[in-house]
Amino acid sequence: MQEHLETGSYHVEILPPKQETEKIYADLDLFKNKYVRVMGSGYCACITDNAMGNLAFQGTEIIEELELEAPDRQVMIHLNTFHTKADLHRILDSCKSAGIRQLLVITGDGSDRLPRLAPAEVGAEGVEAVTSVELLKYIKETYPGDFDLGVAFNPYEPEDHEFAKLDRKLAAGATFAITQPIIERHPVVDRLLKEYPDLPVVIEAWMSKKISLLSEAVGYEIPEDTPYDPMENLKILHKNYPNCEVYLSILGFKTQYDRLPEVRNN
Amino acid sequence: MRIVVCVKQVPGTHDAKIDPETKRIIREGIKAVINPFDTYALEAAVQIKEKHGGEVIVTTMGPPRAVTVLREGITVGADRGVLLSDRAFGGSDTWATSYALAKAVEKIGDVDLVICGKQAIDGDTAQVGPGIAAHLGWPQATYVMDVADITKQEIRAKRMHEDGWDLCSIKLPAVITVVKDINQPRVPTLKGRLAAEEKEIPTWSAEDIGADPVLIGLNGSPTRVVETNPPAGRDKKSVVLNGTAQENVRRLLQELRQRSLV
Repeated sequence: MQEHLETGSYHVEILPPKQETEKIYADLDLFKNKYVRVMGSGYCACITDNAMGNLAFQGTEIIEELELEAPDRQVMIHLNTFHTKADLHRILDSCKSAGIRQLLVITGDGSDRLPRLAPAEVGAEGVEAVTSVELLKYIKETYPGDFDLGVAFNPYEPEDHEFAKLDRKLAAGATFAITQPIIERHPVVDRLLKEYPDLPVVIEAWMSKKISLLSEAVGYEIPEDTPYDPMENLKILHKNYPNCEVYLSILGFKTQYDRLPEVRNN
Repeated sequence: MRIVVCVKQVPGTHDAKIDPETKRIIREGIKAVINPFDTYALEAAVQIKEKHGGEVIVTTMGPPRAVTVLREGITVGADRGVLLSDRAFGGSDTWATSYALAKAVEKIGDVDLVICGKQAIDGDTAQVGPGIAAHLGWPQATYVMDVADITKQEIRAKRMHEDGWDLCSIKLPAVITVVKDINQPRVPTLKGRLAAEEKEIPTWSAEDIGADPVLIGLNGSPTRVVETNPPAGRDKKSVVLNGTAQENVRRLLQELRQRSLV
């Protein structure tokens, strides 16, 4: 991971087609176009796992079906706890055979139509439900050395609670962290970088102009008409966190993608 | 074993609106989804097929766009689909609908078992499954929570009750309706979806299934919806935790985790 961070690459989030789509072939084409562009740029494609509980196809099955290349350290698969054990292993085995090493392990968002791993299925005792901590531990034990396991870090949560959670995640096998979207700078991220100097941290940049959509993530209402320039914020993030890689969510492939190198070099 | 699964396309729960004039659910321009209870029926059918062999056919009655729920059925393991679509079916109540579905089952032929979800989330009547059984003259079991055993001659099924369950044996051919407890529907795969996209799905008209025009559509519907109103908004619920500090923390954590908040 550290080597990858030093290459000056971006992590680009790509959402796979939703299960409910009525134009699956067009959606797969769109996915492929984005994926191929990200590969061509030498960036890392980060593929979500039923984000917000919306059922979508798995990144691994799309890569397999479309026969896409997954160059070393250029693909990261999000993996949450809302799977059957059989599906979890299918995903992990597919990652392994495709040479995908990087996983972002998260608790995730459920829905009525998604199963959830039971504690007993991952050998977890004394917990009511499987969270990212139990899933991390299970993957680390079941697939030793096969994956680099990343976790989410939320600076908008109560600080001590979030750091305690991070410690549990690190003890369970996490080797890098990705933050929630950061606007310019966040003191809790500064503390993270100071207190965990050896932990590779990826800063998330919110690339949509609609910053009000972040209300839920940050825990307070952001008015809809709040002005926000995502490219400017990205520049500031690079300046404030020069040693951190950046994760781009909701990136505009038509309007923003080609401008990334100039932002990086500024 | 040939199994027919009857499914319905319903409005997404949060989008449902009622036309004040006609008192019917407005379906145009609203996201349509497969009735959630029908996904359990599909899974039950596919599991029986995987264990005992045979064929699963998914069917629905509705407008041409309802073909998407049939493709969803094929995606998760049904072998083929049949769409019943004809203006003559318009305005059918549950009795006329179950008549049309029963006629389709007859046309498919050699059917051993019909499986439906316990009810649709739009009408909430739970009448179509039993209606199909009545039209076919077949035995039925409703609220099935487990298929204990199935042979070519009979099915042994647990039926859910408010205070428990009973185990009943039903001669085949039969109709069952299932509840959520019966299984965990599989998540559709891309391979399954792409295979479903390629499947030819025939559309059958009222004439194709040999339906008596007097028994379908408004003519064949003995019931009329005279008034429908949206439900009153739900009040926010407060729960007071009265246990020890340790119990309360445990309970609170459990509630938060169930909502994926921690």
